[in-house]
Amino acid sequence: MAEEEEAVAAARETSLQLPVSTDYKRPRSKKVQELPILERRNWLIHLHYIQKDYETCKAIIKEQLQEAQGTCEYAVYVQALIFRLEGKIQESLELFQTCAILNPQSSDNLKQVARSLFLLGKHKAAIEVYNDAAKLNQDWEICHNLGVCYMYLKDFKNASEQLNYALQLNKHDITFIMLGKMHMLEGDTDKAIEVYKKAVEFSPENTELLTTLGLLYLKLGIYQKAFEHLGNALTYDPSNYKAILAAGSMMQTHGDFDVAMTKYRVAAYSVPESPPLWNNIGMCFFGKKKYVAAISCLKRANYLAPFDWKILYNLGLVHLTMQQYASAFHFLSAAINLQPKMGELYVLLAVALTNLEDIENAKRSYEQAVSLELFNPLVNLNYAILLYNQGDKKGALQQYQEMERRVNKIKESSNNTEFDPEMIEMAQKMGAALQVGENLVWTKPAKDMKSKQRNTSSSKPLTLQQPLGSNQALGQAMSSAAGYSKSIQLSTGGSRQKPPSLPLEPDVCTDANTGESSFTPEVKDK
Amino acid sequence: MVLDMDPLFLAWSYFRRRKFQTCSELCSEILEKSPYDQAAWSLKTRALTEIVYVDEVDVDQEGIAEMMLDDHAIAQVARPGTSLKLPGTSQGGGPSPAVRPVTHAGRPITGFVRPSTQSGRPGTMEQAIKTPRTAHTARPVSSASGRYVRLGTASMLTSPDGPFINLSRLNLAKYAQKPNLSKALFEYIFHHENDVKNALELAALSTEHAQFKDWWWKVQLGKCYYRLGLLREAEKQFKSALKQQDMVDTFLFLTKVYIRLDQPLAALNLLKQGLDVFPREVTLLTGIARIYEEMNNITSATEYYKEVLKQDNTHVEAIACIGSNHFYTDQPEIALRFYRRLLQMGVYNCQLYNNLGLCCFYAQQYDMTLSSFERALSLAANDEEVADVWYNLGHVAIGIGDSNLAYQCFKLALANNNDHAEAYNNLAVLELRKGRIEQVRFFSGYLYGILCMFRLN
Repeated sequence: MAEEEEAVAAARETSLQLPVSTDYKRPRSKKVQELPILERRNWLIHLHYIQKDYETCKAIIKEQLQEAQGTCEYAVYVQALIFRLEGKIQESLELFQTCAILNPQSSDNLKQVARSLFLLGKHKAAIEVYNDAAKLNQDWEICHNLGVCYMYLKDFKNASEQLNYALQLNKHDITFIMLGKMHMLEGDTDKAIEVYKKAVEFSPENTELLTTLGLLYLKLGIYQKAFEHLGNALTYDPSNYKAILAAGSMMQTHGDFDVAMTKYRVAAYSVPESPPLWNNIGMCFFGKKKYVAAISCLKRANYLAPFDWKILYNLGLVHLTMQQYASAFHFLSAAINLQPKMGELYVLLAVALTNLEDIENAKRSYEQAVSLELFNPLVNLNYAILLYNQGDKKGALQQYQEMERRVNKIKESSNNTEFDPEMIEMAQKMGAALQVGENLVWTKPAKDMKSKQRNTSSSKPLTLQQPLGSNQALGQAMSSAAGYSKSIQLSTGGSRQKPPSLPLEPDVCTDANTGESSFTPEVKDK
Repeated sequence: MVLDMDPLFLAWSYFRRRKFQTCSELCSEILEKSPYDQAAWSLKTRALTEIVYVDEVDVDQEGIAEMMLDDHAIAQVARPGTSLKLPGTSQGGGPSPAVRPVTHAGRPITGFVRPSTQSGRPGTMEQAIKTPRTAHTARPVSSASGRYVRLGTASMLTSPDGPFINLSRLNLAKYAQKPNLSKALFEYIFHHENDVKNALELAALSTEHAQFKDWWWKVQLGKCYYRLGLLREAEKQFKSALKQQDMVDTFLFLTKVYIRLDQPLAALNLLKQGLDVFPREVTLLTGIARIYEEMNNITSATEYYKEVLKQDNTHVEAIACIGSNHFYTDQPEIALRFYRRLLQMGVYNCQLYNNLGLCCFYAQQYDMTLSSFERALSLAANDEEVADVWYNLGHVAIGIGDSNLAYQCFKLALANNNDHAEAYNNLAVLELRKGRIEQVRFFSGYLYGILCMFRLN
């Protein structure tokens, strides 16, 4: 919706300005001989119209139309424009149609009729009228608008044809943007990038184009180029919200939290109520191990966007790290309610449940995760650890093998995947414990297996020495399981890299939020 | 034989024990016997005054008439930060309206309802009249017509055989000569009869008789002028009174004048001057805090409320305001402590439990949340309160991701108060998430209707 409106607004601007000035001249030059009296006040109407003095303008138009019995084209035209500005699209359409009848030779009138139809959402009718207009006079605007109409009708072939033709006639940023958007709708990111590249060549200082191109590169994982373009955008406009957010999240992924924070600080001034921004700030704090601040920021983000499961996911993660398992459980279950198809959420939920000593439900949660997440070996590893700790060696072995299978698959598909070292270590320990350590899938040579085994067996005294935070009793009650479960959190933390970069597409959430301005709980007066 | 007490002494005793009705009856008896007994007459006037006495210092709400026919405003369009009329011209410090909800008039919600919390003026006369008189937005047509008239008629009821003193036949000049009678008489005319014109006349004569040296008469003159809407004259009198004698009351009255003149900065200066004379005076501190809050400068307001609490640690208004401020600045745990303190002090109502419930939820103390809300529901006094509690429960439901429960909660809020605009909005958002555009149109249609009704911004 928002995009559509944006496009409409942008296109309206271009289409509004052109006809006014031309129309102003046209009646004078052409019709002066035929109807000198009827057209004599056109200059006045025009003057008031461009001064935005619509009330006076309407009054004059009314007089003029009474005098001319409704045949004064320019007066009707301006009246229709005013109606459109007032949001009365249907009325303005009717008046433009009158104009077209009064002067059928003018392509401007037809264009306005089509524009009104477009605004009413009648794209097919609009296309017909545009085609009629094109017969009279072919120009950039008609082609562009035809392209947009085709795009909304999902006729991408014709759309790209028309938009490209428009580009041939005349290069405009807006056409580039529409063409890029169309390719994105098609799902053809490469083509979209091509278009935006050309657009950036044409107008290298347009920050919107630069940012979009950067975001596209980011989507494809070409970080170097993405960063380059986002950086360019930021040099032209240091407070560009989208670019800051995207660049910041890239820095965050590389662990450069302080720089990211300074970037976010700039953005927080211009957009203090953006949920993704607060989410990313929260995850910055998390990365710097300032957990209380992280929770505070994430909660604000959640307050601003209560339906965003990514924020809830992060909140759950931070609470797990803080060993506040009940809170973590609540946030994670809320996230699952909003997004039931995400395996990682179930893993985190299971970890929370394990720590709350609800083993049955933890197992069920793992089952769900395994069935949803088909590629991530982490899920199986965690499940295997839980089963092993429960004494179910058989089940653990099964999960372990499944994990190995997945790891192999990932290795086959791409050569240079790097696994989290913590996860590798954990898996090795696990393999040793299950006595399947010989056929390791990891690249590491299976040296000093024995010392590792000793480590696992001696893990019990180790955990007791560790500071366990607030729930000491709980921690001590757990036997060697504690050694594992503690590192489980950390190993699931391997997926931590993901959340901060998840919400980096800033335009994802703009849609829903516009209507939600008062979506805040109220503490009543007392 | 029973020894009768001296009736006048008995009347005095009744008066001191605040049995004003008996006191005035006794005085009537004495006056029947000896109509010129000045002591009894004076006592009776005082007793009658005490029955209807209202503390004038307490904030009163500006009526529509005063607001629209206000010719004291210095600038039509005040600079931001210098006026109470423009909501939303935050001078920093306060959270944005997206974080902290606002009232119908566009001010941030405070923690405590008082007459002026609804302020924020409508732009035009037309708009002011169109604003519906619901419980949320009730604003009297004029401040003189509401409370004062009722007080005036009350005086008629207490004395069935006509008024105690016939003002039109009173020789005010004569009474002005007698300082011992005139003060009681003035208070009687001002509070009981509510006849500001005669009161003003008496005050003017008396202050002249006292050779303009009695600060008390000047304050009374100022009160009369204020009531009549002659703010500049009132200001002059109060200032002159302050020159002679520093009084907390006078400072507060003068502040009221400045607020009516829409000069919050002058009011603040004055109150701070007052604090120099009366260090750490609670009423002055509260006054400053209230003005800061009205000006949307929440940080400073909180500072002063904290100062108030240092002096008077059972000040309900201060505790409530600080609590709500903590809640809206993402510190529900601390807010919870303040609200618990209120509970310990014996405040026991729907709003408090509602706030406790919300704080518990956002501070992740889930075990207490629902029981608090349950208690809030059972304590709710009217439908609006029930609706608000359900509305908040809807938010809790959203917080745990249960959109069906949220939907039902918002519906219940609407069932109890069918112009709850926020609930309509949130229902529309929920429908949008489900992708049911028709329903969204339906709810947003309602919402639009309500917004038109309230003329929000």
